Amino acid sequence: MRQHRGMKPTALLLALVAAGAGAQPTSYVLDPAHSFVHFEVLHFGTSTSSGRFGPIAGVVTLDRGAGRGEVSLRIDTAGVDTGLPVFNARLRQPDLLASTEYPEAYFVARNFRFQGERVAEVRGEFTLRGVSQPLSLHARHFACREDEGTEVCGGDFMGEILRSDFGATYLLPFVADRVRLLVQVEGRRPQPDRR
Amino acid sequence: MNRLIAAAACAATLASAQAEGGNYAIDPTHTFVSVEVMHFGTSTQRVRFDRKEGRVQFDRTSRSGRVEITIDMASVNSGVAPFDSHLRSKDILDVAEHPTATFVGSRFSFVGDRVTEVAGTLTMRGKTHPVALKATRFNCYLNPIFKREVCGGDFEAVIQRSLWGVDDGLPAVAPDNVRLLVQVEAIKQ
Repeated sequence: MRQHRGMKPTALLLALVAAGAGAQPTSYVLDPAHSFVHFEVLHFGTSTSSGRFGPIAGVVTLDRGAGRGEVSLRIDTAGVDTGLPVFNARLRQPDLLASTEYPEAYFVARNFRFQGERVAEVRGEFTLRGVSQPLSLHARHFACREDEGTEVCGGDFMGEILRSDFGATYLLPFVADRVRLLVQVEGRRPQPDRR
Repeated sequence: MNRLIAAAACAATLASAQAEGGNYAIDPTHTFVSVEVMHFGTSTQRVRFDRKEGRVQFDRTSRSGRVEITIDMASVNSGVAPFDSHLRSKDILDVAEHPTATFVGSRFSFVGDRVTEVAGTLTMRGKTHPVALKATRFNCYLNPIFKREVCGGDFEAVIQRSLWGVDDGLPAVAPDNVRLLVQVEAIKQ
């Protein structure tokens, strides 16, 4: 966190607490039925090859009143599913996902941009093959709803990485360096134990 | 008997000679057929059909073509096993009664050498309706592994699922309009 000039840490903390008063941060646990990442990459400049990771696991905390948020997601890289066992096996190799050595990828972010009460952009750090790089995810859609007595928030986010930044270099440049990530998430506010 | 084989071989040669533009077989390892559906107005669920096959006849000179893709509806794959079972059930795709869906496209539009649209019909759940797949990209290249020409692209269409009797969860859970995505490559035979 960047410190405000001339403000002591205690004063800063108090200021933050005061700013957050009345706007409670709420945590949402990702719903495994509606939380996936699709990758899309251009093959020989001709058609898009795609595949799916997930369900992705994680927690999102939103303080929509204060315009703040935090997210931490885990992605099982060996679970990549293109619908083709041969393609899945190829993707898990050391020159692509390196799933044996790096079974998980991560996205951690604390920099949220809101438009009104909607999340518009989430900027954080993506870790793949043990390499961490900045990643910005733009919301193409975001909404919250009441669902079975609890609140569900979610949306569609899009980001782009250069796979070479992470050392995933197989078949460059015939299969493009630029990989599009389409992130579908729905987070469910845990219901209080009614027993 | 030998004469019959010779005749068949002759006919096959003749047939391939007539299709000057060429016959292409869909490459299942670079073909992805998916449907995107908005879930409760919140997030987009992408559902893929993993088994498909098909053939394309395509002639850039005469600007004509024909494509036929058959999709094994039981191969539906959302990443959520209970949802896949629900999708296969009578309520939605009714896979037991209608195991395949077929797209037949016979009206190709071109700009220059590039296909921009393939219009035809989609048969699903025993019902046939027109569908026009628009190309968001199209290209042909010489594949260095097969040493053959490969043509392909990304196509999409918005279809109204209720036309095919797929009306479960309308309109709250999922809207009537769904996005059909066909990312396809076909190898010259």
